[in-house]
Amino acid sequence: MKPLRMRAFHRSVVFFAGLALVAGTALAQPKKGPAPKPAPPAGGEAEPEIEMEPGDAAPPPGDGGEIDMGAEPGPGDLSADMAASDAAAANAVKAGELKRTPLSWKDILVVVRKPFLKARRTELMPLFGTTMNDNMVRHYSIGGMLNYYLTDVLAIGVEGQYYQPSFREPFDLVARQARRLPTINTYKWSAALDFHYVPVYGKFAVFDKRLITWEVFFTAGIGAGQSEVEARDKKFPGFTTLLIMPNVGASMRFFLAKWVTVNVGIRDYVFYDKFEPVDRSPTMNATADEAKSRADGALINNVMFQIGLSFWLPTSFEYTTFR
Amino acid sequence: MMKHTLLLVAGLLAVDAVTPSDAYAERRYNSLRTDPAVRHRRLLVSGRFEFAPLFESTINADFRHVIGGGAKLEYHLGDMLSIGVIGVYGTSLDTGLVKKIVPTLETTVDPATREPSRSEFTSRLNSMPVHGAAYISLTPWYGKLAAFSQAYVAFDFYFQAGLAFAQLKSDCPSNVCNDTMDPEAAPDNNPNNDAPLNSGGRLGLYIGGGIHVFLNDFVALDLTIRDYAFSDNPSGADFNANLAVTSEDSRFLHHLFFGAGISIMFPTTVKRTP
Repeated sequence: MKPLRMRAFHRSVVFFAGLALVAGTALAQPKKGPAPKPAPPAGGEAEPEIEMEPGDAAPPPGDGGEIDMGAEPGPGDLSADMAASDAAAANAVKAGELKRTPLSWKDILVVVRKPFLKARRTELMPLFGTTMNDNMVRHYSIGGMLNYYLTDVLAIGVEGQYYQPSFREPFDLVARQARRLPTINTYKWSAALDFHYVPVYGKFAVFDKRLITWEVFFTAGIGAGQSEVEARDKKFPGFTTLLIMPNVGASMRFFLAKWVTVNVGIRDYVFYDKFEPVDRSPTMNATADEAKSRADGALINNVMFQIGLSFWLPTSFEYTTFR
Repeated sequence: MMKHTLLLVAGLLAVDAVTPSDAYAERRYNSLRTDPAVRHRRLLVSGRFEFAPLFESTINADFRHVIGGGAKLEYHLGDMLSIGVIGVYGTSLDTGLVKKIVPTLETTVDPATREPSRSEFTSRLNSMPVHGAAYISLTPWYGKLAAFSQAYVAFDFYFQAGLAFAQLKSDCPSNVCNDTMDPEAAPDNNPNNDAPLNSGGRLGLYIGGGIHVFLNDFVALDLTIRDYAFSDNPSGADFNANLAVTSEDSRFLHHLFFGAGISIMFPTTVKRTP
């Protein structure tokens, strides 16, 4: 019994595999054949059926449910009906095979929409900066900006930076060659409330292939910061100064995607700083407070180059006007 | 085992039958993907000579600012590639650092101290009366911008690299730089009276980058940052602290300049792409 059952089982597997092939082929083909007839209404007398198969003779007049069409051709002359319909169809739009027209440069709109909208979006930008105009000490900064765009060209925001000083070659040269110790202040941190305005917008092609949109924006703000005196003689203490720090600048923004841009720019932080007095001794300006009270002041322009990557929220936008 | 194999084959066949055939449809590409980014574009540089009178100034010089004027001559081989030369005559001005140091120095030479006198310090500083470069330039980006939604101008970004040359000059009088002995052969441990050794011609490397902003079809505003890198000792003093001024005190330095000029293109008429 067992071998018989196995053979039968094998035959059934092969049968079902073949059935799958046939069914698949059948499924790939468009359906043909007439639609099923609707079910007769429940209850009441069934209405007489109307045979709509082509080639059949029209139902004889006088039968229940017929509508007399007046000038219509006489019964039995269905070929005349078909000829009339053919003539009508000849004057109508011929529906042929769907053709896809190739896209050409003529289909491109002359003026396209801006690919990036900023209105009512928030920009979060971590940034890195470096001093550009100090021969003695270069400050590297890391920080961030948070801006909210009231319109597509006007924004308000805040920024914060932490500075790390790095002494440059002239700092050592002046000491070694001229036998003079420079008076140096280093910066610790800064923060500001900023306003941004976008007056320039444009686009450029890279290697005549890809288009990139960009813009220029100006920045003006007011903030605060802190500087620290680097004492020439380490046996005397230094002191820190809280600075009122307005700033102005210009930057460029390159749009990479709907939610990310790259910013590069120049910013000038202007402040009045206090420097270590030159005459410090155990009997004069020995303490930090005393030195600070007799400190020499100067107006400083700390010009910095900044680069940052901006993330925009919400991450997408929609135009609300017609194209 | 046989039963499992047959079941597997049957199942695979069934899956293949019901899988939509368009899973293997050919990927369609935008027919414009190989076309240039801009049509009917004005070729503002291609095949044209560029003559640009310009002004240059150092950025962040340590001891002497160099400011001067000159000209750039460039031929654009195509839309992106060009070759050119630039030459600038300049004068030197003391920086704020020098103005702060000099008043604190002693007025006369005192061999007992290692501190230089005012004349020993200032007469060793060199100047750069002539400098320039020969370069190849690449213009990979061109575009348009709108200022205040009113003024529409074309622009391009370019990057340059090549050879730099400079003529350096320092004038230390014989009564200041009066050490006639070879400082390496007979060191006197007094670098303040050694010759500064920072004069003469220099060859080096040049890199630069800038932007053309086209005011019309043949005139453009040209803004550039240029780096002339060559061996130099701007202070003419002892750099390596061996108490003597020798050729080893010179090092490879970057001389950064900002340049602004007006580029005039010839011929003045411009062609367009198809």
